[in-house]
Formats: sequence, C-alpha cells, structure tokens
Amino acid sequence: MSLQISIREGIKTITRNGSLFFLSLLVVSISLFLLSLFGLVTINLYYSLRILDEKIEIIAFLDEPADITTLKSNILKIHGVRDVIYVSSDQALKELQRELKETEEVLSIFEENPLPASLRIKLDADYRNAQGLEDISGKIMLLRGVKETIYGGELVDQLKKITKAITAFDIGLLLIIVFSVIFVIFQTIKLTIFARSREIEIMKLVGASASFIAVPFAFEGFVQGFVGGLIAFVLTIITYQIAVVYFFGELYFHFWWFFFGDIACGIIFGIIGSGVAVQRFLK
Amino acid sequence: MISFNRVTKIYQKDWVGLKDITFQIKQGEFIFVCGPTGAGKSTLLKLIYKDEDPTEGIIKVLDWNLGTLRKNNIPQLRRKIGVIFQDFKLLQDRTLEENVAFALEVTDIPPRDLRKKLMETLTYLRLSHKRFSYPFQLSGGEQQKVAIARALVRDPYILLADEPTGNLDAKSSQEIMNTLFDINYKGTTVLMATHDLKLVKKMKKRMIYLEEGKLTTHN
Repeated sequence: MSLQISIREGIKTITRNGSLFFLSLLVVSISLFLLSLFGLVTINLYYSLRILDEKIEIIAFLDEPADITTLKSNILKIHGVRDVIYVSSDQALKELQRELKETEEVLSIFEENPLPASLRIKLDADYRNAQGLEDISGKIMLLRGVKETIYGGELVDQLKKITKAITAFDIGLLLIIVFSVIFVIFQTIKLTIFARSREIEIMKLVGASASFIAVPFAFEGFVQGFVGGLIAFVLTIITYQIAVVYFFGELYFHFWWFFFGDIACGIIFGIIGSGVAVQRFLK
Repeated sequence: MISFNRVTKIYQKDWVGLKDITFQIKQGEFIFVCGPTGAGKSTLLKLIYKDEDPTEGIIKVLDWNLGTLRKNNIPQLRRKIGVIFQDFKLLQDRTLEENVAFALEVTDIPPRDLRKKLMETLTYLRLSHKRFSYPFQLSGGEQQKVAIARALVRDPYILLADEPTGNLDAKSSQEIMNTLFDINYKGTTVLMATHDLKLVKKMKKRMIYLEEGKLTTHN
C-alpha cells in the first residue's frame, strides 16, 4: 500500500472518529505537558544545584601589604585550584554596602574601612568537599601573606548530602512520571483503537494486509503525538512565563530543547502506542 | 476447490468445534451447511477463510494448503473469498458506497478501475440509488445486500454465507437467496450455513449436516 493511501486512510480515520480522537489528544497533551513541566523543574533544580556547588570556595584574608601576584601564582599551582580572584578591601566594602543596602547605617559607625583584602579561591569539582577544602586551605595557610582562610567545612558535606538526596528524589519522581505518562498515553491510544476493533475485524475479513491496517493507525498516533507535543510545549511556555513573571524572576528554559523534546516524545509515544495496540488485533 | 481431510477443531477446555470432518467441494457448487445452533457451522466457515486453525487435519482451499499458508499470505486468500454474516458487519460510520469500496481499497486497484467495479456491483445488486445512505438508513435486507456487494466486488471464487437470512423477514430472505443463487449461477462457489432445514429441502442443493461437531449427513 502506498504511503499516500495510508495517510488518506489515517486522515479519514481521524475525521470519522473526531470526538474519540480529540479526547485522546487531550489526554496525550496533558500527559506530555506534565512531563514537560517536570522536565522544566528538573532542569532548573539541576542548574540551581550546580550554581550552588560552584559557590563553594575558600576565602583567604591577606596581610598588609602582600605580594598579590606571587601569592596568586603560588595558589594556582596547588592541585585542585581552578581560579583565584583578588578582592581589594575597597571592593569588599562596596560588595558589603551592596548587600547591606537597607541597613547602610551599620557601616557608618566605622571611620575607616575595616575589611581586609582577600583572595577568592575557586576549586575543581572533585575538591568541593570538606576534605578537599581542608587540604587546600592548609596549603594556602602556609604561604607568606595569608592571614586567615575561611570555608564551609562540614557544612559543605551536609550541603552535598542534601543536594544528592534532592537529585535522587527528583530522578525517582521523574522516572515515575515518565512511566505514568507512557502508561496513560498507551492506555488511551489502546482504548481508542479497541473502540474500533470492529473496523479492524472487517479490514482483516476483506483481506487487508497487516500494513494496510496498521499504517493509518500509526499515522493517527503520529498526528496525535505531534499535535499533543505542540500543545504541551505551548502550555509549558505559558507556565514558564507565569512562573518567571509572578514567582521566580529568572528560570532556565531552552526553547528548542523543549520544542523538539515535547514533539519527539509525543510522536514516539504516539506511534509506538498505536503500533503496540493494533498489533494485538493482527495476531 | 475446497477439501477437508479428517479435520478436527477443539477449542479451549476441550470444547469440540468440529470432529473428524472430511468432504470435498467442487468449483461452482452451492452447498448448504446445516445443523442446530452450536453444531460447528460457523467454525467450518471460519476454517475456510483461516480465521481459525484446525487442531488436526488438512484443509485445502483453492491452491493453498491452509496448514502451511504463511500469515502474511492470509490476506491473499481472503481476497479470493467473500464472507457475509447474519449481523452484516458493516461499518456504521461509512456510506453504503464506502463500505463496498473498502473491500477494493485494501487491494492496490487503480482508482478508475475501483470506481467502475464498484458501480457494476452496486448496479447488479440494485443498490446504486442508495449509495450515499448509511447502514442505519437501510432495511435489513438492503444491509445484507451491501454485505454481499462488499463480498462480490472483488469477484471472489468462493462466497461464504453464515446464516445470511437469520435476521431478515421472509420477503427479504427470498430476495437474498435469489441473489446468492444468481451469484452461484455465474460461477462462484457458495457455502451457506443455515439452521433452516425447510429452506434447504425446498432448494434441492447439496447439504452438509453437522451435529455436535460431527458430520452426520452429506448428500
């Protein structure tokens, strides 16, 4: 059978069973939207945790005066150090003023800038833990010009544990949602095909080949998946906009990833769902 | 054309559909398959168009040994066999014309030939004036004629009719019977399952009589 006839039959099938098709489309769209929404939550959670992880650093307060250039190059030689940023006492004050914007008068009690110059030491990912921080901090303390270092210590490990737990919980939930969505979509498509079992029975009776029977259903599954994916994507964008404007101010969202992700999931679930359901009748 | 050689069909829980059935049917014959309800008439017809497989025995239809016929060749067999049922099995959401054309569309017939064949068949069965009607707009007799049209439109070698007059009044039944005889007269082998022995006796055709899955009379 030519693809043209298959597509024509598929379109006929959709128009003949309009209400069933739209009911099924609604379920597919909502299911994919839930999946897409949870994808959005997961990606933002992942990015937030990564940003949080990258904030783990050592701050080394410096003696006055200190040879900044030599100190920086010596610290960079330490294994596990990724970057070193110098923060002068003036910069530190400005940052503090910015952070204490609403309680500026607190700083007015000081006649001189009380903040020392410092180095912010960024670490490689493998060293962003209590042990890594302690080891590197110990080495930094041995260098001339360093007065004191501060870092998260045990708190970092606790943070890591919490991060891991959140990630594991999120992945678990994601898997449950993925399987639920696949189950719901497959069951919905199966029900719509079961409702047309008489049609399939007659098709077989008059000598329709397996492909003649299956391809229009697969086409319908494709259309349902494609349109369902598109609707899910639009709903995701709307939700994202509402979340940004009214709640979070800023969220990570990759337009094309979500666009192709929603549509690809829809098409794959739609075609496979139809194929699996119709296969039962072709045995 | 059709031969059954020691064919037995046993369903689940040892329920016997057919037991050790042997017979032959030649091309162009008209055969009644008779017997009470549950005697195995429908099973026998289903075995011919391979909707069921026998538990034992050999069935040959046209040039095929159905025991060795591959699954993907079953559509080829069914395109040479027309089947009609007591409940017509029409698609309610399609017009009369679409129901009949459906049987041609499954083959790769060019659209022009499809149209020609369709009109020929509808005209022969005097249905062309109702071709845009839906099944629910037709009488029982007309619906059965649509089912016959769907079976006939591909010029089958064999026509299987499973209690085709079971749901019809006397007048419509007679009309359907006349149509089936005419189809047979033109060369198509017809097997008709019925429990109406009066009708069979009146028609004086060959009969296979089944009782509890066994062939008891064959004349």
